Formats: sequence, structure tokens, C-alpha cells
Amino acid sequence: MSMIDIEDQPSSLWRDAWRRLRRNRLAVAGLVIIVALVVVAVFGPWLSPHDFLSQNLDLRNQPPSAQHWLGTDDLGRDVLSRLIYGARTAFMVAVGVTIIAVAIGVILGAVAGFYGGWFDRFVMWFTDITMSVPQLLLVVVINASLKQPISQWMEARYLETLNPIWRNTQIIDFVLVFGAMALITWPPYARLVRAQVLSVRRRPYVTAARALGLTNRLILTRYVLPNAMGPLIVAVSAGLGTAMVLESAFSFLGVGVTPPTPSWGNMISDGLRVWTNYPHLLAAPAAVLAVVTVAFNFLGDGLNDALNPKGQK
Amino acid sequence: MLAHVLRRLIVWVPSVLLVMLGVYALAFYGAGDPIKLIFLRAPGDVAYDPVKIEAIRAEAGLDRPFLVQFASYIWNLLQGNFGNSLTSGRSVWAMVSAAAPVSAALGLMTIVVTALVAIPLGMVAGLRQNSRLDYVILGTAVALWAIPAYVAGPLLMVLLLAVLPDGAVPYGWGGIFSVKVILPLIVLSFQPIALILRQTRAAVIEVLSEDYVRTARAKGVPEVMVALRHILRPVLTPVVTQLGLIMITIVNGAIFVELVFGLPGLGRLTVQALINNDYPVILAVTLIGSFLVMASNLLVDLLYPLLDPRAADVKGS
Repeated sequence: MSMIDIEDQPSSLWRDAWRRLRRNRLAVAGLVIIVALVVVAVFGPWLSPHDFLSQNLDLRNQPPSAQHWLGTDDLGRDVLSRLIYGARTAFMVAVGVTIIAVAIGVILGAVAGFYGGWFDRFVMWFTDITMSVPQLLLVVVINASLKQPISQWMEARYLETLNPIWRNTQIIDFVLVFGAMALITWPPYARLVRAQVLSVRRRPYVTAARALGLTNRLILTRYVLPNAMGPLIVAVSAGLGTAMVLESAFSFLGVGVTPPTPSWGNMISDGLRVWTNYPHLLAAPAAVLAVVTVAFNFLGDGLNDALNPKGQK
Repeated sequence: MLAHVLRRLIVWVPSVLLVMLGVYALAFYGAGDPIKLIFLRAPGDVAYDPVKIEAIRAEAGLDRPFLVQFASYIWNLLQGNFGNSLTSGRSVWAMVSAAAPVSAALGLMTIVVTALVAIPLGMVAGLRQNSRLDYVILGTAVALWAIPAYVAGPLLMVLLLAVLPDGAVPYGWGGIFSVKVILPLIVLSFQPIALILRQTRAAVIEVLSEDYVRTARAKGVPEVMVALRHILRPVLTPVVTQLGLIMITIVNGAIFVELVFGLPGLGRLTVQALINNDYPVILAVTLIGSFLVMASNLLVDLLYPLLDPRAADVKGS
């Protein structure tokens, strides 16, 4: 009887995918870690035991204790609290960058794939070229060249309006980091969407829609793009992880968010200076970043198997 | 073959020029006035005199239009002249050629290590698909791919610190054959190994379903010979095409590995230039890195018909 109940349930792509995903233990583990990360990022201010900025110079470089679970750093700041606020930074950057990159990639890829012709060739050429510049070097160049103009522009706005928001250095950071990272991470999305659009474009239902006289834009947004969603979700899951790693990589190199805004990359590079004496200052942020990136990869692989069952044998 | 090479070059040269133009434009419009940058660095030497500055500018040719300056930059580049560093005043070419051997040695060793480790392990994982061994190998590959070099390096050092006596943890450069090179080499190989391992595994699984593999097995060819003769060769073709991607991971990874382990290569040069906002150096290392990746892609393109003769007619178009 119960068998029939299960069979009777309407089966959709998403329900099937969810069932397949739940069976993949590594993917579930990844999902749990990511949900925990999101909770920590959102509720950080209530969860962190101390203020991430408050310094206690009597308690510098303390090993883990009951008061400071993960010890304190070189300025006597609580490491656990900084890790929690670092999660906020990482999460914010990952989501912001991915939204911009996906938007650029989807628009360019969909238009190129749907209309073809010289525009398609140009976009793909440009995509190939962007992908062949090592990402870190490109960000280094973008950051080194755009930081000054943007700060000058914001200073000018401040003098014009006297609104203190234009003097918030955190905003410059995020604009730069978001912009530079989005400019290097869009090509995979563009390629993927274009390939999907190319394969969907000749399907009978698109021909039918065309025969019914629907406009190109309507066909694109209502029939072509929804069918490209599955692979895109997989790519976004992987992309969120990549963006998080990139953010910490840039902070590590000093071109990401500026201290005192806590970022895992900053904490790692600070820890690297003192690790021979205080290994926990290096181990804590490095371990957190490692666990989170592995989690995103496991979830991405699991989603890939769940949403593209054809790929499995 | 010659026509194939020419066709590839016709696409390749403009691509390289576009990358150069993009990077140069960012530098040209973003970095600020180079003359003023030099003056800001040495404020005491010469009084800030607008007339004098304009004279220096005209003398250095910096008052010319953007495209003329770009062309002259390329022209100098072709003659091995990358300009001078803003911080030290040294020739960028000299700085790069002092640092390049370290990175080149490390990078070449990484490619060798990757091929020796990743291809056999990928073969094993693919031949034993969905076995426990496969899961262990694949899981490790995912972890190696996901953990960045600046995390893996320090974590390994912390671990070594717990095991080794004080002062015995390797740091610095002692030539490619010294013991110190082992740790950086391991960390730099992580991502390429993961990349090639997964690629090899996927290719093996695909080849396994080919008719000729079944035929070979049916006529009683030993399993080892099937793997070496009938599977390995077709698997190598898609693996070799990943050279460009490997190059990207090595160029990116070298920046961190050289910084973490104190190696005097191009990666550390990049970071120092970034800290000092030393534009000629940043420009030079970016162009070198992009050129390496694009040259690898071109090499793969040119070699592809030789690796897979079937592709020669199809891909020629």
C-alpha cells in the first residue's frame, strides 16, 4: 500500500533531484556545513562571544581557553569572534560576486547562443581570452589600477554631498572586490549558458513557440533559459565556493577587504607571520576555510550527479 | 599542417595583443601619472615644478597619445625592454630574469610530479569505478582541489613543526635539488594533480565502454596490457589538452607558494610589486603569466592533430 502512495506522488525534476541528493552522503555533509555557515553569517552578531574589534593588550596571543575558545590574536582580539565575522564577509562577497557574474554570464551567453553569428563568435573569443589570463594576476592589475580612481571619485562625491557614506572605506573595498572578482568569474557561466541555449534552441517546443509567433525575447526567457537552469545551479554552487576562496586569496595578498574588517584571508596572512610561535592563529582560519571549500565542492559534485542523472552509469 | 599552424596563429596573435591592450589600458588610465608617481616616491630630490615635469614627460614620450605609447611599449617589449621599476629603478627585465629560473624550475617539476602521480591514480580510480578505492582517491582529489595553496602550505608547516625539531622546518630556496623544495613542490602540485586525476578517471570510464576494449578482453589480452595499450593511449589525448588549465593553476599557485615558503621567484616578485604599487613590474608579470597560458593553449592546438589523427580533418575547418 505504501509503495503505491510513493508512486502516486507527482514526480518532478526537482523532487527527483532532491531524493538523489539526499542519498549522497558527502553532498549532504557539504550541505549541512554550508547551512551552518549561512546561519553563522546571518546571526553572527548574536553568536559571537566577544566584540571582534575589542582589543585586550594584556591577553595577546593567548592559546585556547574557556574564555576565548580559540585563543586571541596579536592584538588580544577574540579569534572565534573574528572567524564568525569573517564568515559574514566571505558570505557577502561570495553571494554578491556570484550574482553579478551570473548576470553577466547569462546575458552574454544566452544572447550569443540564441542569435549566433558574429556576436556569438566575438563573445566566445572574448570569453576564451578572459579565461586565459591567470585570475590572480588580472585581479592584481584591476585592483592596482582602479583603487585610486574609485577612491578619488568617492571623495569628490563626499565633498559634493557631505554624506559620510562616501567616505566609508568598506564600501570602496566591496565595490572593488565585487567588481574585480565578477570581471574574472563570468566566463564559465557564459560558456555554460551558451552551450545549453544552443542545445535547446532547435528543440520542437521552441520551433512551436516560434510558429505561434512569440517574440525572440519571450522565447528566450520563457522556454530556453528555464531549461538551462539545472547545469547553471551546479555551476553556481561551485562558483560560490570559488568566490569565497578567491576573496580570502585576495585578502591574503592584501588586495581584498582591508583590515580591521575581519576576513579569513587576512587572518591567515596575519597568522603566517607568527605561526612558529602561535600555530593556532594560523591553524584556526586555515582549517575553517579548508572545511568550507571542501563542503562547497562536495555539494557541487552531488548536485551535478542529482541534476544530471544522464551522466551517471 | 602548415596551413593549420598558420590558421591558429592568425587567431592567436590578435588574442595576445588584445590581452596586452586590456592590461596596458588598465595601467594607463588607472595607475595615475607615472611621472608624478616617481616624484611622490622621491619628494626631496627635485622640487615639484610643473614646467620641469612637463619637460621630463615630453622627454620620456609620455605626452603622446595612448595608442602610440602602447605601440612603443610593445616595440620595447619585443626587444626585451620592460622599462624600469618605480621602487628600485632597476630594469624590470633584469628583475624578471633573476626570478624566472626559480619559478620555471618549480613549475616544470610540478608538471612532472603531476603526470607521475595523477595519471596512474586516475587510471586506477577509473578502472575500479565506484569501488572503495575509487571513492578514497576521488575524495582526496576533491579535497586537494578545494584547499588553496595558502591554506595547505601553512597547515603542512604547522604539522611539520609539531614533528620536526625547532629550526628544521624548510624555508627559502636552495636550488631545485635541495630538500627544501619538497614541501613547496607538494603544495604547488595539489591542484594540477586533482585536475588531471579527475580528467584521467573520466576519460578511462568513457574508453572502457568502447568496443575495442571489449574485443581486447574477449580475445584474452591480460588486463594489465589492456590498460596500458588500449586504454592509456586514448586517455592521454584529452589529458594533454588540459595543459593550459594546468598552467593557470601553476601561475596562480606559485604566487602563494613562493610567498608562503619564501622562494625568490616570479610569484613573490608579483606580490612585492603589488605592495609597492610598482606598475611596470605588475604589467610585466601579468603579461608573462598570460603569455604562458596562451602559449600552452596554442601548443595544445598545434599538437592536437598529431595526438589524434582523426581530429586533423575535422578541426581543420
